[in-house]
Amino acid sequence: MKNEITLQTRRQFLRGTVLGSALSWTVPTFLADTFAALQSQAADSATQIVTGKDGSILVVLQMAGGNDGLNTVIPYANDFYHNARPKIGQTADKVLKLNGDIAFHSAMTGFKNLYDSGNLAVVQGVGYPNPNRSHFRSTEIWQTASDSDKVEKYGWLGRYFDNACAGADPTVGVVVGRQLPESFFAKTPTGICFDNPQNYRFLSPERPKPGQTDMTEAAYEKLNETEMASSDADSGASIGSLAAGMPMQGGKAVDFIERTAMDAQISSDEVRNIAARVQNQATYPNSAFANSLKLVAKLIGGGLPTRIYYVSQGGYDTHTNQLATQQRLLGDLGDSLKAFVDDLKAQGNLQRVLVMTFSEFGRRVTENANGGTDHGAAAPMFIVGNKVKAGLLGRYPSLAPQDLFEGDIKYNVDFRSVYASVLENWLKTKSAPILGKQFEPLPVV
Amino acid sequence: MLKPLSKDGWNYETAAHLLNRAGFGGPPEEITRLTDLGHEAALSSLLDYEKIPDPTPNPVWAVPDLGRADRVRAMQSMTPDAKREAQQAEQRAQAQQIIELRGWWLNRMATGPRPFQEKMVLFWHGHFATSYEKVRDAYYMWRQNELFRQLATDYWLHLLTEAGKDPAMLIWLDQAQSRKEHPNENYAREVMELFSLGEGHYTEKDVTEGARALTGWSLDRQTEQFIFRPFFHDNGDKTFLGRTGNLNGEDMMAQIVKQPQAAVFITGKLWNFFAGQMPSPELNSALADAFVESARCFKPFLRVMFRSEEFYSESIIRNQVKSPVQWLVGTARTLQCDLPPGFISAAILRSLGQDLFAPPNVKGWDGGITWITTNTLLERYNDAATLVQGTTQQLSASDFALKPGGPGGVVQEKAAQRMHIGGVDVEKILTPEERADKNKLVAALQHRLLQSTFSNKQDQALRDFLDSRPTLADADIRNVVRLVMSTPEYQVT
Repeated sequence: MKNEITLQTRRQFLRGTVLGSALSWTVPTFLADTFAALQSQAADSATQIVTGKDGSILVVLQMAGGNDGLNTVIPYANDFYHNARPKIGQTADKVLKLNGDIAFHSAMTGFKNLYDSGNLAVVQGVGYPNPNRSHFRSTEIWQTASDSDKVEKYGWLGRYFDNACAGADPTVGVVVGRQLPESFFAKTPTGICFDNPQNYRFLSPERPKPGQTDMTEAAYEKLNETEMASSDADSGASIGSLAAGMPMQGGKAVDFIERTAMDAQISSDEVRNIAARVQNQATYPNSAFANSLKLVAKLIGGGLPTRIYYVSQGGYDTHTNQLATQQRLLGDLGDSLKAFVDDLKAQGNLQRVLVMTFSEFGRRVTENANGGTDHGAAAPMFIVGNKVKAGLLGRYPSLAPQDLFEGDIKYNVDFRSVYASVLENWLKTKSAPILGKQFEPLPVV
Repeated sequence: MLKPLSKDGWNYETAAHLLNRAGFGGPPEEITRLTDLGHEAALSSLLDYEKIPDPTPNPVWAVPDLGRADRVRAMQSMTPDAKREAQQAEQRAQAQQIIELRGWWLNRMATGPRPFQEKMVLFWHGHFATSYEKVRDAYYMWRQNELFRQLATDYWLHLLTEAGKDPAMLIWLDQAQSRKEHPNENYAREVMELFSLGEGHYTEKDVTEGARALTGWSLDRQTEQFIFRPFFHDNGDKTFLGRTGNLNGEDMMAQIVKQPQAAVFITGKLWNFFAGQMPSPELNSALADAFVESARCFKPFLRVMFRSEEFYSESIIRNQVKSPVQWLVGTARTLQCDLPPGFISAAILRSLGQDLFAPPNVKGWDGGITWITTNTLLERYNDAATLVQGTTQQLSASDFALKPGGPGGVVQEKAAQRMHIGGVDVEKILTPEERADKNKLVAALQHRLLQSTFSNKQDQALRDFLDSRPTLADADIRNVVRLVMSTPEYQVT
């Protein structure tokens, strides 16, 4: 409680002081969003800018390692499938059937529950032209939404921030993890990341007793307070340049860092405060991945003005003994997602949230000699939320040998059509400037 | 344009600027020494590094592994379990070596006698951005690093040609697999787009014709050397950037380097790296002219650049965001302390966004303000405590996000959390008077760490902290050093 008051007071102080003086690059971004919103309303009413705590939220969920889509959304009645997978093929008696042809893996009770309640869309056969089988390269293609023969410098979410979130609070993008994924790379750095909120802070060597001031921390805060800009600047012009995304032109590098330092202080307080204050309202599995979703649920419940959350679950590179590994991972994934949905429902936030999964590739149709599968191509994506077009979307790719390319199923849906739909129909922004060209959106909401 | 800096323009501030940019900075004594040398001799002391012996030994494993191809082949006939074990052992050894390689290079930057040469190696690594994530071979990565060192300031044609024949590059951009039946266009495209001309200065036809010219450039996995394979080479006529004939890879590189745009492109990139921002079109064209007049050789060109008054203008000095490497190595040089052990330094750099030998993609690191996010800034502030206090307690577990289970994984993480790694010796960097007098202490640290001064408010913040301490113990002084580093001002150079 005490923390909250201090934070509130500091924010009010900064708001008052900054608004009282001229605006420049040194204005903390959390203030700039107001102006960005004003600016954008005039410029393009079709674009929805982050304005606060009621916008729609996208949770991007990476299944790292290349999930075997064929044993996730299973063509259990298909002979080609069983011929190619005598050891690891999933038979009709085990699977969770969706219809006469397609079923979920038996561990996916969480998914089945979401599917039956109309909260899950399965996009079948998603991939891209000229697929690449390298983890590194294919992940990069998904993260940057590039063609497979082009290298892009910025990520697709980074381009979303650059295009649609100029001047937003840095917490507009939150990564639960140790590193910013390539999808977040942007012209103007945006977004924060941490695996444990307690680490997202200035660490002081002091251990002050209650009531005592931590002098190291106090010094750090004062050293990093924004120097208010000189008052002779024309504030009208400054608002324009703020909304334009504040590239590094003419500005001093140190001014940009000052602003980031202020953002860091404020968002660090805010994130730790929410994590300590908000309680989860559903029972999650006991796993590292579930913990990331628990944290995201807390941050949503606590009203962080975030549009994009990014979480990941690793371990899908199942060259050997795939059965046990996938059983564990898919069970954890589905149960965690089910709990996450329940949690958001209890909070009253479910209608604001959409979860989208992806994996860098699916796996080879034919199993290998080690009870596993090797790197492949197309695979399904999952979209979760109560606004989704629930059910099976797209077509299941053919497994007939003559329809395969080098042993891999061919994609029917370009992943960028899914991104396009998420951007246009969910985040309410134009997709072409972000994806580099216009992809026909495959409606998922 | 590019007139030499006037004689009275050379002073402590400009000398510090040169040392920061053409090297990794240094303590006040070193800056004073450069100042006293005068501009021309100071330049020579950095640029003419061939005269300075560098006895750094190569890593013991930095030789071709002539048995590797056979070992990999033998794995194909093993039982699945044995094969998996053999592959894992191979990967573990490689991963251990790449960690060693990072430490080896960082130490050359931090303590070696030729900082400018290492700064150029860093430039070329970011320019020809090649990642271990695909190459998966520490020897090849070392070899490329050594190539950049040998040819750091050589002729552009020589370096560009050798970079294309480099084994790591042959793997990284798929040239090793290219043959006349199916020319792989990856290298042909990237060499023009990213390494030499820039987008819009060649056609798609140049890419396909260039790919044909490059066929035959390949890698001999047995000897781990470049090999020209005549049977892979397309001997037909090609037309590349206006020249027609039975062109090969060498012809292609010569034709690229001859383009006026090639001089504009590489000098603009060098200016951006060293000066901290892209040059204006007028300045870029003057730089390109200087490069052509230098016979497209980097050493004389860079001397012109580091001599020019433009390089010392107000908008350039102290207006570049330190890269993580600059931040880490510069801190060690400026505070005259050791770098942490290689795997910790590597973990710090990774968490700050510059994982050496693993750039994010073939475009390299974007640099500039993109180094700074709210979390990398907090990481810098917290890593400063680690470096200064000399204990890893300040490091969060996430700083050790190396390969889980592999070398540098859980075991090293636990060890690291208890480790003492040197830290700053306050008696070495401060006189007894400076350690006894708060005003002198604050002034000396600003002089050493910023070569500039704080605002009054920031000064007051440091004074308030010092006034809260009953005495000036070494630990308190180290804490002040850390606080000075925990400012926006310390993140620029």
